[in-house]
Amino acid sequence: MDDFWFEFVEITQSIGDGFLYGSTYALIGIGFTLIFGAMGKLNIAYAATAIAGAYSSLAIFTLFDVSLVIIFIVSAISAAILGYLVYLTCFRFIPVHNHLAALMASVGGLFFIDEVIVHATRGSPLNFPSMFSEAYFEVGPYGIRGDLLFVFVIGLISTGVLLYVLFRTRLGLATRAVAQQDVAARLCGMSIHSTNSATFAVAGLLGGIAGAMTAAAVGILSPVMMLPLTIKGLIVTVIGGLGSIPGAIIAGLFVGSFENVVMYVRGIDERDMYVVALLFIFLIFRPNGLFGKTITRD
Amino acid sequence: MSRRGTEKMKKFTRLASTVVLAVAVTMPLVASAADRSVKVLGWGAKSGPLKSFGVNSEAALRSAIAQINAAGGVKLGDGSSAPLEVVSYEDSACKKDQNIAILRKTASTTDAIVGMGATCSGSCQAMYGVLQKKIGDTSDSGVQMPILSDTCIRPGLAKISEWAFRNVPNEVAMYDKLFTWLRSENPDVKTFSGGTETDQGHSFITHTAIIVQAAIRHGFEWVGPSVPELGPKVKQGMKELQAAAKTQHWLMGDTSYSVQARKIKKQNPDMVLVSSHPFSACGFLKEMKRQKVKPKLLVGLTSSASQETLNGCMSAAEGLIIPTGFAPITPEAISANEIVSKAGGFLDLHSAAAWENAYLVKAAVEKAGISATADTVAEDRRKFRDALASISGIAGLIGPVTRDGVTGEASKPYVYVQVVNGEWKVIHDPRG
Repeated sequence: MDDFWFEFVEITQSIGDGFLYGSTYALIGIGFTLIFGAMGKLNIAYAATAIAGAYSSLAIFTLFDVSLVIIFIVSAISAAILGYLVYLTCFRFIPVHNHLAALMASVGGLFFIDEVIVHATRGSPLNFPSMFSEAYFEVGPYGIRGDLLFVFVIGLISTGVLLYVLFRTRLGLATRAVAQQDVAARLCGMSIHSTNSATFAVAGLLGGIAGAMTAAAVGILSPVMMLPLTIKGLIVTVIGGLGSIPGAIIAGLFVGSFENVVMYVRGIDERDMYVVALLFIFLIFRPNGLFGKTITRD
Repeated sequence: MSRRGTEKMKKFTRLASTVVLAVAVTMPLVASAADRSVKVLGWGAKSGPLKSFGVNSEAALRSAIAQINAAGGVKLGDGSSAPLEVVSYEDSACKKDQNIAILRKTASTTDAIVGMGATCSGSCQAMYGVLQKKIGDTSDSGVQMPILSDTCIRPGLAKISEWAFRNVPNEVAMYDKLFTWLRSENPDVKTFSGGTETDQGHSFITHTAIIVQAAIRHGFEWVGPSVPELGPKVKQGMKELQAAAKTQHWLMGDTSYSVQARKIKKQNPDMVLVSSHPFSACGFLKEMKRQKVKPKLLVGLTSSASQETLNGCMSAAEGLIIPTGFAPITPEAISANEIVSKAGGFLDLHSAAAWENAYLVKAAVEKAGISATADTVAEDRRKFRDALASISGIAGLIGPVTRDGVTGEASKPYVYVQVVNGEWKVIHDPRG
């Protein structure tokens, strides 16, 4: 009985930790899905811009010794600017229907950003300031990390703001209009490119917060974080349903919990295998994800 | 002009002609000696997450070669002197195929007599695999090019080919002596556990085959997942340990270590091993700090005794103890450290070996008596290899570096360093 109780506590603790940390996956997933929803294209460089935003904020923090709140703001703004630049270089001038070219261009964008950061930092990990890193709440047999709780709350607030922008502002209306019927949106006087640029910038804002949150949760920044975060973001986007924001949120939290449980039960060798297997299961049995638009099969 | 005057004139003319002829004959020879250089080609990770390894090794190699050249270069077989020349220092990015491609290119298209690389153990293993295994084996069409490595540290690689040479620390001896010392200094420390990154060959193998066994050998009790096969011998119970402890291991690029830290916290060990490169070591150390895991001793992987660890987690790494093959503790090491710092690099246990390797090349070239001409490249490479194989020791930066003629592995002096107040401090010097 003791063994059962011990395992129960450990597994539920793993689920809780993963759930809180999953908010970073959710934010990255929302960014992917926002761009996919608007343009029908995947921006593989998205997580890289998020981490690059965090690097920019760390540079400001180191140079000017600003407060920790400023770090999140600078990270968000930097990633928004980078997001816009990625749009300009990888999407803006590529023919609308050439999805493969845009995809490959964004893959190039990912590696370019990665190498620029490696070049600037020599690939050395850098200490990233954490908020509430000393806060650790013990509730019965459970422990809750204060910084993860903070990350979770910031994730919730960011998502709330994004939903407000999407459903209560003219920019959101334009974004949804372009996503649903770009020709009609153009006939109504909306500029496709301006709307897409704004979408990339908004997604970048969110990514910058996610990048800073991830770095704050780990306590370190390193280029090695880019690829795993990109892969997790893509998995979250597909499981949540391409183009679905609620789907990305739920999938992000779910994937965070799922991988932590697999880590606890099966270990590091099999953790990613099970997460990718989950992706395959969704692609086969529910290709439109949890909340995506129905994809018909031939 | 008188007859005597004419004779004098003839004598003068003959003498002048002889001098002019002698000068004319010797000038090209002098010029050709001055034009010659002994070429080496280096490579290492200069991109990707391990970029600092390649950058530091390059800075150390180039700085040491500049120092050698400033002191007159190296003596060639004909008694003349020539400078050492780094033809280039390529980026192998820690990728096996890229390392092999650079090796083949160096061997077939350059006059370099030795290749000096590479960064990662896996890359070296693959690269050594394409070299000719036994000298003079005509049935083996492997590449015949001497390789002198400074960083790939995984034990046992030098035996792959007789063309491969390594100046890397012997981790089996380092950890054995470390735990002997820790045992005597910390009688209250009885139990241990720890984790490693499973996707990095050096970390994973060193942790599961060397470090854990060395701790057991010196009386520390493993309190991680039960592994009855574990014992004091190198590699004893390695496979079983790898399988049993996988829930407290991680990957190099991981961003969450909560499960692993909690597992180790539950085991409540007196000593924790963090056998990992700086990024993930820092991630795990920070997570331990958050979860208030406070072991009496923290022991790390040799490769983390570097500036990168301090950059990433100075505070969380406080108290971390690591054996290392370099510390600025001798006049030579202090001087080299300053020179390399000015050249934009850091000297650590890996890049210090690149510095020493430049002097090893000088010693081997002078012993081999090579010609260093375009026509004698293959012959020079073979002579150089044989000379390198016959050198049993050189003066390293912190003491003599010797080479075992049977295994081909180096034996280097080492010290134990610890993060104290945010800096690496030498806490014990077993050199005696």
